[in-house]
Amino acid sequence: MPYTIDADTAGFFEAAREGHLVVRSCSDCGANLHPPRQYCRHCGGWNTRWRKLTGRATLVTWTIVEQQMLPTFEVPYTVVLVEPDDAPGVRFVGSLPGRVESLQAGMAMAVTFETVGDGVVLPQWSPTE
Amino acid sequence: MYDHRDRCAIVGIGTTDFTKASGRSVLTLATQAGAAAISDAGLAATDIDGIVRCEHDEVRHNDLVETLGTANVTYWSSVGTGGAAPCGMIGQAVGAIMSGQARTVLAFRSLNGRSGRRFGQAGRASPRSIGGNGSYDEFFIPYGLAVPGQMFAMIARRHMIEFGTTSEHLGSIALTCRQRANANPNAQMADRELSMQEYLTGRPISLPLRLFDFCLETDGACAVVVTDTERARNLPHRPALIRAVAQGTSRHPQMGLVLPTLLRESLTTQPSADVAETLYRRAGMGPEDIDVAQFYDCFTITVLLQLEDYGFCKKGEGGPFASGGALDIGGAIPINTSGGHLSEGYIHGMNHVVEGVRQIRGTSSSQVAGAETCLVTSGIPVATSAMILTA
Ligand SMILES: [Zn+2]
Repeated sequence: MPYTIDADTAGFFEAAREGHLVVRSCSDCGANLHPPRQYCRHCGGWNTRWRKLTGRATLVTWTIVEQQMLPTFEVPYTVVLVEPDDAPGVRFVGSLPGRVESLQAGMAMAVTFETVGDGVVLPQWSPTE
Repeated sequence: MYDHRDRCAIVGIGTTDFTKASGRSVLTLATQAGAAAISDAGLAATDIDGIVRCEHDEVRHNDLVETLGTANVTYWSSVGTGGAAPCGMIGQAVGAIMSGQARTVLAFRSLNGRSGRRFGQAGRASPRSIGGNGSYDEFFIPYGLAVPGQMFAMIARRHMIEFGTTSEHLGSIALTCRQRANANPNAQMADRELSMQEYLTGRPISLPLRLFDFCLETDGACAVVVTDTERARNLPHRPALIRAVAQGTSRHPQMGLVLPTLLRESLTTQPSADVAETLYRRAGMGPEDIDVAQFYDCFTITVLLQLEDYGFCKKGEGGPFASGGALDIGGAIPINTSGGHLSEGYIHGMNHVVEGVRQIRGTSSSQVAGAETCLVTSGIPVATSAMILTA
């Protein structure tokens, strides 16, 4: 269960609970700041906020995990890394059950929302076809 | 700006045996390696007035002051991050000596990496509240991405996507390190040969990485003694002059410990590219001047990325370069001549420093004939450090 009350990152999980994918962004210069932080290094301002994304992305890379490292994760499973279409340079992680052999770099991915218990919701990513 | 070029040297090296179960405390291991390094330098413990440790070490500087019986230590420091530390630790020693804060510095790394606290395991995180407080683990571990091996698997896959790198390319790095270990009696894999067939059919861990893409887990310690070059000239061994040393974070390293580095825009260029630029400038040298290299090798892909970042081949050509014989003794750039982390043992980058000194002395079990320059690198991806040793 992720820690969802961190001062800098809680808003990401609060938005997910309401069915939204968000990225921390600078209101002044538009830069994306992920993992979330308060200060914009690009323009030197503190005027940052949560920006809603469409949830469309492309696949950057992945791994098929065959050796169990976490008691709650049954192998095999596939971990994916995606780049949102509307937040270039930002990366999000997702996971899919089993060995997903059909993955191709650059393929279209879409967000889904997975409730993992106690009202905690994780954005997840799957191929769109 | 002060120039540290050739002003200090490594004059003593010491190691323990490398095993799966030392049966000794990390303090005993550190004391053994430290005493061996001081003796090898032709010095007494009372000559040591500085100590540098890795921030992950369980042994503190005052522990060794007490067990070894050093002088009153007037300089100590702890360097990170993890495996990125060792060459940076040598840099700290150089800084201490050149600023007059110490004259003779012991740098060490000691761990029961197999029988004690094992790295690369995910067991530490409490399942009820993963991450937070500046760790950023909440963006990774709830997705089953918990350890460096899984992260480097995704980096390896990305290198394959961008450049057509193959498992055979990575395998050639594993086989090279194993062949060097087969000549090194102190290597954990001294007696175990490895074929490409065994490599390719190794147990899948986190694909595309398999068992032999991963480093060993080791109980052991390494230590070295650093002093000024003037003093070094009067000691028993040929000094390994520290031509130059460099640390570097890169400009946008990402936050947190390890996993957030996966969120960088490029996965196939690492902070080693920035350190290489600084190091070569400080040394007045380039990759063409390097006779032999000890690359930090927590995984095979780590070596491949560094071959490119340190300029031994072009970006993207690390795979064909590695599998074309360049890494062999007599090749363009022989690497990891004691077997490295993949096959000698995992002393968190400090065994690479020790082996670099052996190459300059001419005493390696896989000696590169006439080697006068050795590149030694420390770990990626968080930040890194490296140095060039010369005869
Ligand atoms: Zn801004």
